[in-house]
Amino acid sequence: MAFHTIEKTVPEQGREFALGVPVPGSGRRNRNLPFRRPGRAWGGLGMLRTVVWVAMAFLVGVPLAALVLQGIQPEARVVFGDPAVASAALNSVASATGSALLATVAGAFLAVVLERGNVPSKGMLRWLVLLPFLIPPFIGALAWMALLGANGPVNKSLQSLGIDAKLSIFGGWGVVFLLAVHSYPVAYLVIAAALRRIPGNLEEAARISGAGTARVLGTVTLPLLRPGLLAAFVLTLVANLSDFGIPALIGLPERYTTLTTLVYRYLASSTTSNPLPAVSAIGLVLLALAVLTVLAQRRLPTGTQLGSGPAGMELELGRARIPVAVLLWLWTAIICLVPLLALASQALLPAPGVALTWENLTLDNIIRASTSPGAVSGIGNSIMLAGGAALCCTVLGLGIALLLTRDKHRSNPALDVAATLPQALPGLVIAVGWLLIAPMLGIFNTSWVILGAYVMAFLALVVQAVRAPMASVSSTLEEAARSAGATPLRALLDVTARLAVPAAVTGGVVVLLTAVRELTISILLVAPGSQTLGVAIFNLQQSGDYGGASALALLVALVGILGLSATAALANRRADK
Amino acid sequence: MATIELTNLGHVYGNGHVGLDGIELDVRDGEFLALLGPSGSGKTTLLRTIAGFLRPSAGNLAIGGRSVAGDGVWLPPEKRELGMVFQDHAIWPHLNVAGNVGYPLKLEGVPRIQIARRVAAVLDQVGLSEYAKRKPAALSGGQRQRVALARAIVAKPQALLLDEALSALDEPLRARLRLELRALTREEGLTAVHVTHDRAEALGLADRVAVLNRGKIQQVGTPRELLENPVNAFVASFVSDATLFPGTVVDGHFHADHPGLRFRIGSDTHGNPAIRVIGERALAGARPRRAVAAVAPTGVRLEPAARKAPLDIQLARVTSALYGRHGYETSLDWAGTGLRVLVDGWVPKEGELVRPVVEMAHVFCGESGGGEGRAA
Repeated sequence: MAFHTIEKTVPEQGREFALGVPVPGSGRRNRNLPFRRPGRAWGGLGMLRTVVWVAMAFLVGVPLAALVLQGIQPEARVVFGDPAVASAALNSVASATGSALLATVAGAFLAVVLERGNVPSKGMLRWLVLLPFLIPPFIGALAWMALLGANGPVNKSLQSLGIDAKLSIFGGWGVVFLLAVHSYPVAYLVIAAALRRIPGNLEEAARISGAGTARVLGTVTLPLLRPGLLAAFVLTLVANLSDFGIPALIGLPERYTTLTTLVYRYLASSTTSNPLPAVSAIGLVLLALAVLTVLAQRRLPTGTQLGSGPAGMELELGRARIPVAVLLWLWTAIICLVPLLALASQALLPAPGVALTWENLTLDNIIRASTSPGAVSGIGNSIMLAGGAALCCTVLGLGIALLLTRDKHRSNPALDVAATLPQALPGLVIAVGWLLIAPMLGIFNTSWVILGAYVMAFLALVVQAVRAPMASVSSTLEEAARSAGATPLRALLDVTARLAVPAAVTGGVVVLLTAVRELTISILLVAPGSQTLGVAIFNLQQSGDYGGASALALLVALVGILGLSATAALANRRADK
Repeated sequence: MATIELTNLGHVYGNGHVGLDGIELDVRDGEFLALLGPSGSGKTTLLRTIAGFLRPSAGNLAIGGRSVAGDGVWLPPEKRELGMVFQDHAIWPHLNVAGNVGYPLKLEGVPRIQIARRVAAVLDQVGLSEYAKRKPAALSGGQRQRVALARAIVAKPQALLLDEALSALDEPLRARLRLELRALTREEGLTAVHVTHDRAEALGLADRVAVLNRGKIQQVGTPRELLENPVNAFVASFVSDATLFPGTVVDGHFHADHPGLRFRIGSDTHGNPAIRVIGERALAGARPRRAVAAVAPTGVRLEPAARKAPLDIQLARVTSALYGRHGYETSLDWAGTGLRVLVDGWVPKEGELVRPVVEMAHVFCGESGGGEGRAA
C-alpha cells in the first residue's frame, strides 16, 4: 500500500472533531497518513448538480421569469378589461372543470370495476379504455367530427331512418364532452395506481369486522382513495385548461372561445399591434392557477404512508357482472373504436358523404397527404424535434432523478419543483414563455424555440419514469460498490445509473411519441419552415381538406397506439422480470 | 489482514440520538469478532462507522495501524480496502455473478485475465464455480449470500465486515453457511467483524464477542468468559438469559427484594449445600449496599414439591415448558418474578408446583438491575 505523506494544511478539519479526545502517542503517526476532505469526496456529484441546475435555470427559470415580468407590466393588465377575455376565461374554467369532473367520475368507476371487479375479459378492456389516451386530443376531435359531421355516418343513418334531427359535436357541450373523453384515461390510471397502493389487509380487516363488499368499498376503499381522486381531478383540470386542439376544432365554429384559442387568434392575426403583453397577462393568470392547484395538491396526504400488504380484495359483482360487462363494451365501442373507424373511413373515401363500399375505398388521400410538401416537411420537423427533445429529456431527466433520489442536498426540493412543475403548466404558458425569450436568445422564428419548449414541457415524464424504480433500489447496492473501492460518483454511475437506464429510455420513448404529435405548443411557436406534423394536420383541416387531414391523423393515431402500447408492454415485461 | 483499533469512538446522529459512546475496541489480526446486542444497541452503527458510511463525531479509528477517521483524518469507504456483506446481500442485479465478484478488482485496475482467474478461484471457494455466468435473479437466497461473500473477499481486504449477513436465511442453510464462513475466515486468516443479534451465532462463531447496549461496549471477551464471568447484570441477562434479582448485600449475605431468595456470598449456606456464588465485587461490609443477583437458567435446580404442599414463598409454579435441544426451557412464576430454568432429565408440567434451588449466581454490587435488565 502506498503511504503518501500529505501535510495537514487545512486547520479547520481538526475543529470538526472538537469532541474527540486526542490520543497520546498515536497522533504523530496519524498525521502523516493520506486523507481526503469529505466535501471533495462528493466533488463529482457537485459538478453534476451544477450542470443540472444551469440547464434547469435556462430551460425553466428564464421562460417563466420572462412571462412573469412581461405579464405584470401595466399595459398588459389592460387585457383584463376586455369582455372577450373575460368570457374566454369563463369558458376555459367552465369547460375544464366540467370535463375534469366527468373524467374523474368515469375514471373512478373504471378503476374500481377493472382493477377489482370480476368482469370477463378484463385485460382487453383495460387496454381498450386507454385508447383515447394514445390519440392526441385534436385527432380525437377530428375523428368525432368525421363521425358526427353533417354528412357523417350517424346523421346519414338518422336521415335514412326518417328522423329529422341532426346531432352536432360543435359548441361548448361538445368541447366539455371531448375534453372528458380524452382525459378520463389519465384519471383512470391515477386512480387505479392509488387503488393498488391500498393494502389489502385494511379491507380484509373490515371484512373480518363484518362489512360486506359494498360496505368495504364505501367505508374503507373510497375514503382511502380520496387523495387519488383529487389528484386525478387536478391533473385533468390543468390538462384540459391548456388544451388547444379540441376548443379550436369543436368550439371555434360555434364561437365558443377559450383562453388558448383566444391567444392563438391574438398571435396568428394582426388585429392587435403587439399581442405579447396581452398574451403574457393571460399566460400569467394560467400560471398562477396551475401553481396554486399544484401547491394545494401537495399539501394533501398522498397515500404513500399506507405501507404495503397483500393485494386488494376482489369486488364480487354478482348479478351486475353481465350488465357491467355490456356497459364497458358499449363504452369502448362508442367512445374508443367508432370515432376511429369514422376517421379511417373519411381517410379512405375520396370525399365526405361518398357511400362506404369496397369499390369506393382508396388510398389516394393517404398517399396525397403524406407526400405533399407541407406534410413531408411537417413529419421531418416533428421527428427531428421530438427526437431531440427525447434525447435531451432522457439525459437531463436521468441526471435530475439521480440527484433527487441518491444525493441528499438542501436544493433537492427546489430541483424537484423545477423539474415537475412544467408538467402541470398549460402548454400555452410554456409556449408564451419561450416566445418571449426567443428574441433575446436569437432563436426567434426557428425550430430551436420549439425544441426548448418541448424539453421544458416533457422533462417530467423522464424524471418520473426513472424516479420510482430508482427509489426502490436498495442503498446497500451502492454501499457495496463503495466498500469495493468505488468513489461516490463511480458507485452512482456503475450501479444506480446503470439500473435506471432502461427506465430512462422508456421515458424518453414516451417523450418522443408525445412530442411527435404535439399541437398546442407547436402552433403557438410555429414559424415559416418549422411547421410540425400536428400543425400540418390542423392547417389541412382549416383549409377544408378533410380527407387529407383525416389521412394524416389516422397515421398519427395508429403510430401513437402501436408505439405507446409496445413501449408499455416492454416496460411491464421488464418490471415483471 | 489487519487489526482494527477503535479509540474512544463516539457517534451522534443528526437528531441528537447518541449512537455510539466512548467505544474502545481492538480487533486483533485474523480474529473473528462478533458484535452482539439487542436492536438499537449501536452494533450496526459501529460496523457502519468502521466501514466508513458513518463519520464518528469523536475518537479515532485505525485499520491496519493506519488512522482512517478522527483527528482530522477521513478516509472514505472506497479507500479503506474492506470487504462487506450486507443483510440483504446487495448483489447488483444488472451484473452476472462473475461481474459482481470481479467488480472490486476491476476498480483496482487488475488486468482482465487476472480478474477472471481470481474470480474463478473465489467462486470455487464458496462453491459457486458453475454459476459464474448466471444472473443474480436465477440464484437462491443462500447462493446470493455466497456471491456477496465472494465479492467481499475477492480483493483480499484488510478486514471482512458482516452486517447481519446470515439473518435473512432460513435455519438449516444458515447453520451451514455459518460453518463455511468460519472455515473460510480461518483458511484466509481474515480479520472479521460480524454484527448479529443471534446469541447462539455470536457465541458459536466468534473468537471474541463484544456485547453492546445503548451505544456502549459492556464487555469484550471469549464466549466462555461472557458466560462464566459476565461483568454486569446486562451481559448476564442478555448473553446467558439470566433472571435478575435486585436486592441488598449486608455483611456477606445477599437479601433479594424477592422474599424467596437469600444466600450467603462466597460460601455454602445451610440448607442449600451446593450453592456457588461468584461475586467478584461483593465484598463483606456492615453497610447495606444495593446489588443485583443474576441467576442463569443452568444455575437453578428444581425440586418437586409435595402435591398438596401449602403455597409458600419457597415454591414456584410452572407457567410453560418448551422442549429445546438442551432440555426443557421452563418458565416459572416465583411469587411474581418470572424465573427461567433449564430442566434436564424430567418433564415439568404446566401448573405444577416446584421448589427452585439456586446453585449458582453472579452478584453485581452497585447496580440497581432496573434499567439495565433484559432489553431484548
